[in-house]
Amino acid sequence: MGITRRQFLGRSGAAAGGFLGASLFGSPFAARALAESLGDRYLVVLFLDGGNDGLNTIIPAENGSIGSFRTHYEAARVSGGGGLRVAANQLLTPSTVSMIDPGTGGQLGFHPGLQGLRNLYEQGHVAVVQNCGYPNANLSHEESRRIWEYADPRRTGVTSGWIGRHLAANFGPAEIPGVAVRGSVPGEFAQTATSILTISSVSSARFPFDSSYGSDSPFRRNALMALAEAALASGQPTLGQVGAAGRSTLLASQSYPPLDDLYEDERPSFDAMYDGLGTSTAHDLREIAKVIYGVESGVENIEARYFELQSGGYDTHSDQGLPQPGNRHYDLHRQIGDAIETFYADCTDMGVADKVCLVVWSEFSRRILQNDSGTDHGTQGPMFVVGAVNGGVYGNHPDIDGDALDDGNTRYSQETGNPHRSTDIRDVYGTILKHWVNVPHQTILSSILPRDAGDPADFWTQENFDIGFL
Amino acid sequence: MGGTMGDENTVLTPAEARHLLRRTGFGAPADEVQRLLTKYGTRGRAADFLLGFKLASFRPGGRDLDDRQKSWLVYMLKTKSPLQEKLVLFWHDHFATNNTTVGNSKRMANQNGLLRQHCKGNFKTFVNAINLDAAMMVFLDTVRNQKFQPNENYPRELLELFTLGVLDSNGSPNYAQEDIVQIARAFSGWRVDDRDQPFLNEGQHDYSEDYPERGPKVIFQTYGGFGSAGRSFAGAGEGEPEIAAVIDVLFDHRDSDGKKTIARRVARRLLEYFAHGAFSVPSPATTAVVDDVVAESGFDQTWELRPLLRAIFTSDAFFETSSPAPDGPSTIRSVKWPVDYAVTAMRTLGIKPSGKDGRIDGGSRRRLIEHLVNMGQEVFEPPSVFGWDWENSWLTSRTFLARATFARDLTVARGNGGTHFRPERLVDLTLTDPAAIVDEVAGLLGVADRIGPEEHDVFVDYLTNEGTRSSLDLQDEEIRESKLAGLFALILQSPAFQLH
Repeated sequence: MGITRRQFLGRSGAAAGGFLGASLFGSPFAARALAESLGDRYLVVLFLDGGNDGLNTIIPAENGSIGSFRTHYEAARVSGGGGLRVAANQLLTPSTVSMIDPGTGGQLGFHPGLQGLRNLYEQGHVAVVQNCGYPNANLSHEESRRIWEYADPRRTGVTSGWIGRHLAANFGPAEIPGVAVRGSVPGEFAQTATSILTISSVSSARFPFDSSYGSDSPFRRNALMALAEAALASGQPTLGQVGAAGRSTLLASQSYPPLDDLYEDERPSFDAMYDGLGTSTAHDLREIAKVIYGVESGVENIEARYFELQSGGYDTHSDQGLPQPGNRHYDLHRQIGDAIETFYADCTDMGVADKVCLVVWSEFSRRILQNDSGTDHGTQGPMFVVGAVNGGVYGNHPDIDGDALDDGNTRYSQETGNPHRSTDIRDVYGTILKHWVNVPHQTILSSILPRDAGDPADFWTQENFDIGFL
Repeated sequence: MGGTMGDENTVLTPAEARHLLRRTGFGAPADEVQRLLTKYGTRGRAADFLLGFKLASFRPGGRDLDDRQKSWLVYMLKTKSPLQEKLVLFWHDHFATNNTTVGNSKRMANQNGLLRQHCKGNFKTFVNAINLDAAMMVFLDTVRNQKFQPNENYPRELLELFTLGVLDSNGSPNYAQEDIVQIARAFSGWRVDDRDQPFLNEGQHDYSEDYPERGPKVIFQTYGGFGSAGRSFAGAGEGEPEIAAVIDVLFDHRDSDGKKTIARRVARRLLEYFAHGAFSVPSPATTAVVDDVVAESGFDQTWELRPLLRAIFTSDAFFETSSPAPDGPSTIRSVKWPVDYAVTAMRTLGIKPSGKDGRIDGGSRRRLIEHLVNMGQEVFEPPSVFGWDWENSWLTSRTFLARATFARDLTVARGNGGTHFRPERLVDLTLTDPAAIVDEVAGLLGVADRIGPEEHDVFVDYLTNEGTRSSLDLQDEEIRESKLAGLFALILQSPAFQLH
């Protein structure tokens, strides 16, 4: 029998801090010592902030060979005022390729807002990875987001991200391997060994000098760089962090802003396509496209291959809405689906579609049973991996039978042979690290994603870095 | 961390007085430093003076969000009780509510007034007021909480963020999901009327007798030190007494050390804010300081914030961040919040925002609030109920550029009005020695003790165009506009000025 969240809370105090010592993550390898790298490829991570409702993202279209998926879905998601049910005939089911739950053989469909993703799925460019989570789900936004970002379900005090641990071992402080189109360094990239550029746009990386006294600018730049170096050399951690941010910013302030004109001049039609979508996700993906174009064009000092962006608004406790335009969850889905479709077309035109892997995740899914017009916090949900993947459905749909739920949520289970077996987030990350980033299997296990100890039916004790989507 | 070396009778050093003012206000003007040292002298007397402000009834005014954001910022620029606003900022982060979700700036302003009213008062009274604050009730869906399916949004954050926290100092859980489910029942049916007043819609309230299958209204059967029976909150009657009963139980909650959970968490959070970020990490050392200030103030008995703040402002832990530069591996520093950074710079330079929309009168001519948006702290718009991320999270490439742009814009606001930068009013223009000019400007900006010899050399190099001239004529307007204003900009942009 599976462990419930309540039982976990009862014993996690004793378990905390035991197995995963911080030391596992605290000793980065010498730079590039393992020669593991993305090579000429790119990794893009899109975070859906707030907890995307997975059950209204990848939706059972029928009951399937074993089980009663559609029946359970319709019991949980009602129709009528405030009802969130997506009728079977509204689902976007691919016509040219199959979209079948591997666990039960049941037909699945995309939420009507996800037209862009459905189109890419039909072309074989989308891996839907179902039922992604970790043992003993945490229903706090903050806690669960950290768990996903750090790949640390036991919250052992790790403060680096699953990508950050790889970056720290392979890049130095003067390099900028990653760019986040947002205000702060994302948790996936968190570490202190190398620089992550965080910007709202490449043009905004310009340094603000006094334009009336342009001849003074070189003196100011030199002084600022010297101050940043002194701060780094002080050894004081906070001051050092400010120095690191200052130095990478000053370096990037020269190399990044020209990417804006380069892209607009040479790719006007794609530039206009993102504008046509007019959403923040479209604009942010365009900034990433500008950097990729800069790398592909050989622009000096542009070397970033790891990117992150986020799209917010998924905390749909109320007014989640009907599956049609002008409704919240529909518009959110439309925003990401359309933006990803345009980004993929842009990458295809640049000749890098087979070099880009875009990962979509959210800190949790939502309650299987809806409330009056929305859904409360939940557990496992689907991820998408888009780009150079073997398209299809991976992982099993969770069991949404009312009797199978724990406090209204689906259970995490690693039980082999279970048609509803969960996909551990570390298997997804491990697959990406092993097959896309080229990190050796043993390196992943020893310094990025250590296994849990415990009952193999309840915990992630057997790695499975070959899910097949890459 | 911290022994028991100093106490309320410890005499303040100048560096400590500057630190106290920087942390409890917006910058450390020389005359205020002098007043603390000569008139008050000791930690205890200085803390009593700083905490003695008369509560203002101020609420940000205006017709819309833009007006009210400007109204609060201008108030911070002018106030004679900066600690009051530092506290309101803290509570705005703690009980984080944003206008994007609330969609009603008047309710945001009313909440801001409520934060000010309770900022140094009784924390339990404060939480009871927040429970039925209109902005909060909309923000966390209390107004959508109905008996058929009690909405867990507010109860979860009440436990996780506003009071207990997810885990205690030992990493043990403070509550279970079932506790949230039960507490959600107490808040069911609460609505806001046309005059923003809370009322109970009885038809939407989850009365115990209507839903026997949901079990008794009992919480903390697993955690909280109440034993396996837990504690009922149904006895006092349903409606407002029921919410008050929930709060009573929460404030009785004890952690796995048998200590009052809320007392420790609030003390820890205030230490993190006023002293330094290391308090965010539970450890035997930080927990010992937390327990000291709680015991000294009796906060776990009275829930009075003012004595707790006094205990913090007189503790050694608070003064650990006060040491002068140069910084080394063991120096402890903290990152200034963007609002602190901007308001301190403007108060120090004597620059007011310009025009109805509150612009900074130079460079990009952005509105003050736009600068703060770019720096990552738009007041009335914390990104989520978690508030803002503190410390290193404040400083990334994007926000570093935003601070640099703000500093540039302030120092190129050329003209003669109150919205312009007029260094001739601040600096002795007869100075010609570059090193003396650096000392003068660093002193004015309140960071003379935060600039080490190496940084000092960098500023001198800048003034001398890297050694190509040996003196400056500050009477020359062009020199003032290029190099003197440039020095102000550089110091405001320097790593040292971002910290305190």
